[in-house]
Amino acid sequence: MPEPFDLPSHQGPLPSPCTSVCVMDSRTGFCQGCRRTIDEIMGWSSASQEQKRNIWLALKARR
Amino acid sequence: MNLPASMRVFERGWLSSNNILFCGRESTALVDSGYLTHAGQTLALVAHGLQGRTLDRLLNTHLHSDHCGGNAALQKAYGCRTTIPAAEAAAVRDWDQDALSFTATGQQCERFTFNDTMQAGDTLLLGDLEWQVLGAPGHDPHALLLYCPAQQLLISADALWENGFGVIFPELDGASGFEETRATLALIATLDIRLVIPGHGAPFADIDGALARAASRIDYLQADPVRNAQNAVKVLLKFLLLERQQIALDQVPLLLAQIRLFRDTNQRFLQLPDLELAQWTVAQLLRAGAARVEGELLLNLD
Repeated sequence: MPEPFDLPSHQGPLPSPCTSVCVMDSRTGFCQGCRRTIDEIMGWSSASQEQKRNIWLALKARR
Repeated sequence: MNLPASMRVFERGWLSSNNILFCGRESTALVDSGYLTHAGQTLALVAHGLQGRTLDRLLNTHLHSDHCGGNAALQKAYGCRTTIPAAEAAAVRDWDQDALSFTATGQQCERFTFNDTMQAGDTLLLGDLEWQVLGAPGHDPHALLLYCPAQQLLISADALWENGFGVIFPELDGASGFEETRATLALIATLDIRLVIPGHGAPFADIDGALARAASRIDYLQADPVRNAQNAVKVLLKFLLLERQQIALDQVPLLLAQIRLFRDTNQRFLQLPDLELAQWTVAQLLRAGAARVEGELLLNLD
């Protein structure tokens, strides 16, 4: 078997930014783990590749 | 991904399963509710998706902690009618810790109640669409699939992912699970599907590819059941690490010894002393890039 350990969250072409922390910070409105907004988390699975890329880029600036 | 307008998928991570929200003309429903510690975010996602409506119904594909951990919070918030797999009715009614998987795996779940049950052969109306309930034993003996023939959609939970499927838990207790997994995959292969919404990971359209990978995975696991046991201890420790984000390295042997499923799996398949089991499992997570060590701590790595 090539992969000894399957992690479903790592699957798909552009991975979800989710880090399994999944707690919203009421001060910033961002998830404390991945720093996405509720809208960005909600829309992720129907977002285009370009939208996903843009979210990833936005996350870099929020660190 | 082309979904009916009455349906939204919240792609979560690994500790929380995906949630599927249905907003029909007359009623709303949610399939699976994520993990307990993420319930606040689950409530926020659901409230946002409902746009002021109430949640009428909550359904669970199966009762693992990452699929029903938000049930109690949703019931408190909405008083929603809750539907669980029929085979779990007695265990939930009595909150039977031995029959439910939470204690055995060291995972958390707040007690919830249910109003009715579903089983293979039933039909549901979710988001104005008709869904067939199908049995999906293997990963969990009581797991169910939801299939919408009109839209060719399958909610597969942990019976089929884009790359594999969930740990075959019954085999860890000496019960049968490999053959059931094969039968479930064979059933899925008979369905006309354009999109699978798995319990974890992104929805996917390459059904044949996913079924081929799952078939080769079950061949690999069944050829030597120790492989399923090894995979299980890795996944279970990763789950604990995701929940806590860090665990003191010297606590790992004690932690594993205290959790029944680690203990039983070790005794049945691996037969390692506690310290060796802990060292082996940690080494596997490091090798897979799923954890790193900093000083005395094992840290989660995404």
